[in-house]
Amino acid sequence: MDSLLFNLIWIIPLFTVLACAPIPSHKESLLKTIHAFSGTLVLLLVGYLTYRLYTLGIDSASADSAPLLLHYYMDIPWIHTLNAHYSVGADGLNIFLLFLTAVIVWAGILVSWNIKGNQKVFFALIQLLATSVYGVFMSMDLVLFFVFYEMEALCMYLMIAGYGSGRKDYGGKKLTLTLAFGSSMILATLFGLYFESGINSWSIVELSKITLPMDYQMWAFPLMFMGFAVSSSLFPFHFWSPDGHSAAPTAVSMLAAGVMMKMGAYGCLRVAMFLMPEAAKIWLPYVVALLIFNVVLGPFIALRHKDLKYITAYSSISHLGLIFLGLAAMTPVGLRGASLQMISHGFLTGLFFATIGMIYERTHTRDITEMGGIMRKLPFLGVGFVIAGFAGLGLPGFSGFIAESNIFIGAFQQDSTITRIVTVLAILSITTTAVYILQTANRMLHGNMPAKYATLTDACFREKLVVVVLVTCLLLIGVFPGWIADMLDQSIAPIFSKIGL
Amino acid sequence: MFSIPNFVIPDLLLLLFPFIVIGSRLFCTDRSKAPWRIGNIGFILIFILLNLIPLASGAGRFFITNWHIDDFGVLMREVLMVSAILGIWLAKDYFDHSGDGKPAMHQIAEFIGTVAFATFGGFTVVSACDMLTFFLGLEIATIPMYALAAWNKRDQYGSEAATKYILMGSVATAFELFGFSYLYGFAGSIHFEAIQQAVAAGTSPLLWIAVLFLFAGIGFKLTLFPFYTWAPDVYEGAPTPVTAILSVTSKATAIAFLVVLVYGPLAPIQEQVAPFIALLAGTTLFVGNLGALKQFRLRRFMAYSSIAQAGYIMVALLGPAATAKTAIIYYLFVYAVSNYLAFFIFGIIGHHREETFNSLRGLSKQKPMLAIALAVAMFSLAGIPPLAGFFGKFHLFFSGASTGHYGIVAFAVLNNVLALYYYLQLIKSAWIDETDDHLNPLRMTKRQRGVIGLLTVAVIVLGALPFLSDNIFAGFTF
Repeated sequence: MDSLLFNLIWIIPLFTVLACAPIPSHKESLLKTIHAFSGTLVLLLVGYLTYRLYTLGIDSASADSAPLLLHYYMDIPWIHTLNAHYSVGADGLNIFLLFLTAVIVWAGILVSWNIKGNQKVFFALIQLLATSVYGVFMSMDLVLFFVFYEMEALCMYLMIAGYGSGRKDYGGKKLTLTLAFGSSMILATLFGLYFESGINSWSIVELSKITLPMDYQMWAFPLMFMGFAVSSSLFPFHFWSPDGHSAAPTAVSMLAAGVMMKMGAYGCLRVAMFLMPEAAKIWLPYVVALLIFNVVLGPFIALRHKDLKYITAYSSISHLGLIFLGLAAMTPVGLRGASLQMISHGFLTGLFFATIGMIYERTHTRDITEMGGIMRKLPFLGVGFVIAGFAGLGLPGFSGFIAESNIFIGAFQQDSTITRIVTVLAILSITTTAVYILQTANRMLHGNMPAKYATLTDACFREKLVVVVLVTCLLLIGVFPGWIADMLDQSIAPIFSKIGL
Repeated sequence: MFSIPNFVIPDLLLLLFPFIVIGSRLFCTDRSKAPWRIGNIGFILIFILLNLIPLASGAGRFFITNWHIDDFGVLMREVLMVSAILGIWLAKDYFDHSGDGKPAMHQIAEFIGTVAFATFGGFTVVSACDMLTFFLGLEIATIPMYALAAWNKRDQYGSEAATKYILMGSVATAFELFGFSYLYGFAGSIHFEAIQQAVAAGTSPLLWIAVLFLFAGIGFKLTLFPFYTWAPDVYEGAPTPVTAILSVTSKATAIAFLVVLVYGPLAPIQEQVAPFIALLAGTTLFVGNLGALKQFRLRRFMAYSSIAQAGYIMVALLGPAATAKTAIIYYLFVYAVSNYLAFFIFGIIGHHREETFNSLRGLSKQKPMLAIALAVAMFSLAGIPPLAGFFGKFHLFFSGASTGHYGIVAFAVLNNVLALYYYLQLIKSAWIDETDDHLNPLRMTKRQRGVIGLLTVAVIVLGALPFLSDNIFAGFTF
C-alpha cells in the first residue's frame, strides 16, 4: 500500500497538469486553487511517508534492495529493448530530499500566485518540473533517473524564457545549455556503465553489488562526477547559476537553487561515488582543489554584487561547495554533513529566494543600493530575510550550523594536507559570508527609506505562511538534528561500506 | 496455378494505387476533393493491412525469389506509410491555398500518385534480395522526388532547387551504379546471399572501392557529410509538403538501403566498415549542427537539423543487427512524427507570413497551443526527455555503444548540446520575442488543429510511455 502511495508522489503533479489541460486559461483562480491543492496533497503525502519511514526504521527495508536500504521499493520491466526498469525506492536520504522538494514546490506555487503571463502554462510547467525532481530522487534505475534528470531542462528554459525578468533569454539559455552539457557528460558515461559492467543492468542496486572495471572507472568517474557537479555549480561550471537565477521568476529560482542543484550533489553521491568508489578515491582530492573557488572566493564575489539575486546565487555556490567538501572528505561524518547540507541548504535558499521575490514584487528592484529602510514598511519580510541570512552564515540553532560543522569535522578528519588547508580556509570564509549578509541586510532594511516606498504593504497571509513554514523547517533541523542525522547515517551506511570506510 | 501470398497484398495494392488515384481524374472535376479522399482511404487501408500481416519468424518469406519480406521490412513499410499519410494531409493545406492563380486542389491526384510511387520505391528497397531490385527500388523512390521537388514549376527558387536536386541525384546514382558494378565484379553475382558468402571468404581492394562508392552514392540521398550541400537549397525551394516528405520518406528509404546493405551483403565486414561509418556519422552530425546555428529561415533550418539527424541515425549502424534495426525503426517513427509536427506548424506560418524565425514572434501570446506544440516538436527533435525524440536517440546511442564505440557515442551526445542551442533559438522566437504589428494573424482550420493536436499527443505519448511503442517490437525478429 505504502509503495503504491510512494509512486503517487510523481504521478499527482503530472495528473494535475493533465486535469488542468481542458480548463480555459482565463479561469485563473480555479487553476491556481487546483495546483495549490495538488501541491499541498503531495506535501502531506511525502510527510506521511517520511513519518512512516521514521516509525518503521530504516533497517526494516525491503530485502530485494540489498545492499541499499530502500523502502517502498518497486522494480518492474519498462523498456524491453533497452532492458530498462521502472525501479523506485527511498532510503532516509531520498525521503528527506523528497520532503524538501515537496515543501519547495508547495512554496513555489504559493509565491507565484500573481505571476504575469499565461498562468495556466506556468503552473503546468512548475508541476512538470516538480515531477522531474521527484522522479530523480525516487528512481533507482539509471535510465529512469536520467529521463527525470534531463526533463528539468525543458521546463526550466520555458519558465525562464516566458516568465522571467531582465536578460531572460541569455540567462535561460546559459542555464539550460550548461545543464544539458552536464547531462550529456553523464549520458556519455552511462552507456559504458551498462556494457562494461558485465551484468547488463541499469539498476543502481544491481550495479552496486559488483566492481566496475578499473580502466572504465578511471575515465568515466571524472566525466560523470563533473557532469553532475555542473548542476551543483561546482567551479568551473558555476557560471550559469548567477545569470540563470537572476533571470528566473521567484518560484524557478527557489526550485533551481533549492532542489535542482541538490540533484547534482545527490547524483555525485548516489551514482558516481557509490558505483565507482575506487576511482573516487583517486580523483576526489583534485576536486578539493576546485573547491577553493567555490567556498573561498564565492563569498568574496557575493560581497561585490549589488543585485540581491546575484548575492544569493553566489552564496548558494559557496554553500554547495561545502557539500562537495563533505563528499570529497570521504569520511562518515563528512558524508553525513554533506547530506544534511543538501537538505538544510534547500530550505535556506528557498527562504532566501522567496523573501527576495516578495520584496521585489513590491519594490520592483533588486538593487540593494536603491533600497533602504524597508524594514519600517515590510517588517515581516525583513525579518524573514534576516533569518535566512543568519541561517546562511551558519548561526547555531539553524540547520546550517549542524550541517556545516559536520562537514568541517569530517573534512578535517581526512588525512590529507590539501583537504585540511581547504577546510581551514572554508571555516575562515564564514566570516566573509557574515560580512556580505549583514551588509546586505543593513543596506536594504535600515537607513533612509526612499519616498517611493512609503506605500508598500507587508506580506499577506499566503506569503506569511510560506515564510513561516520554511523557517520552521530550518529551525526543526537546527534544534533537533538527532533523529534526521540518525536516519541519514543509517541510510548512507551502505555507501560507506562500498567505499570501504 | 500462380497464387499471390497474402503478405504481398499491401505491396501490390500500393503499386496499383497511383493508377487508381490518377485515373480518378477522368471522372471528377479539377477542383474535386475526391482524389484526396481516395488517397486517404487507400493509404490508410494499406497501413491497416500491413499491421495484419502475420509475423515472419527469423528469415522472412520469399515471393518470386527476389522479393523478400521480413519483420524489418514490414516495420519500414509502416514508417513509410505513416510518412505518406501525413504527407498528403500536409499537402491538403498546400493545395487548398495553392499559389499563382491555380484553383484549389489542382492536380492533387498526380501529387498523391507520385507520393505513392516514391513510397513503393521504399517498399522495394526493403524487400530486395539482389542488387538489381535494390537499385530499382532506390530509383523508384528517388525519381518521383525530383518531380515533387519541381512541383511549383513557375517558382524560380523551386525550379532552381529541383534542377540542383536532379543533377546531384544523377551523380549519386552514377556513384551507386559504379559501386554495384565493382561489387558484382568482386563477387560474381548480383544475389545478396552469394555476395555475402564472397565477402566472408575474403576481401580485396575491389570490394573497398565498391563500398566507398556505395556509401558515397547513398551519402547524397541521406545527406551525409560531405554530400549534404544540396539539402538546404532543395528543402527551401520545394513546397512545404514536399520538403516534409523529402525529409522523412527519402531519408527513411536511404537509411533502409544502408541497413539492408550493412546487415546483408556486407555483414561479414561490418567491423572493418565501422570506423568509416563512425567518421561519416560524426562529421555529418557536427556539420549539420554547426550549419543550423546561424539559420533564420525555417526550412533551411529544418534542412540542417535533418542533416544532423541523419548523422545520429548512422551511429546506430555500428551496433549488432537486431539492436540497430530496433533503434532505427523506433527512431524513424519518432523522427517522422516530430518532423511532420514541425512542418505542419511551419506550413500554417508559411500560409500567412514569411517563413523566417521573425514570423514566430509573439506566438506564445497569440496562439499558446501552437507555441506549445512547437516547443514539443523542437524539444523532441533536440532529444529532451520525456519526449519521444529522447528515447529515439537513446536507442541509437545504445546500439552504437553496444559494440564499444564509446568515443563516437560521447561525441554525438555532446553534440546534442549544440543542437539544443539552435532549437532553443527557435523556441525563443516563439516564446520571448514580442510580436510585430505588421505580422498577419494566423488562422487554423479545425482539421489543422486536429492534426497538430494528434501529433503533439503522439510525440508525448510515444516518449512518456515507451512501453507502448515497445509493443511495436513485441514478437518481431530482426
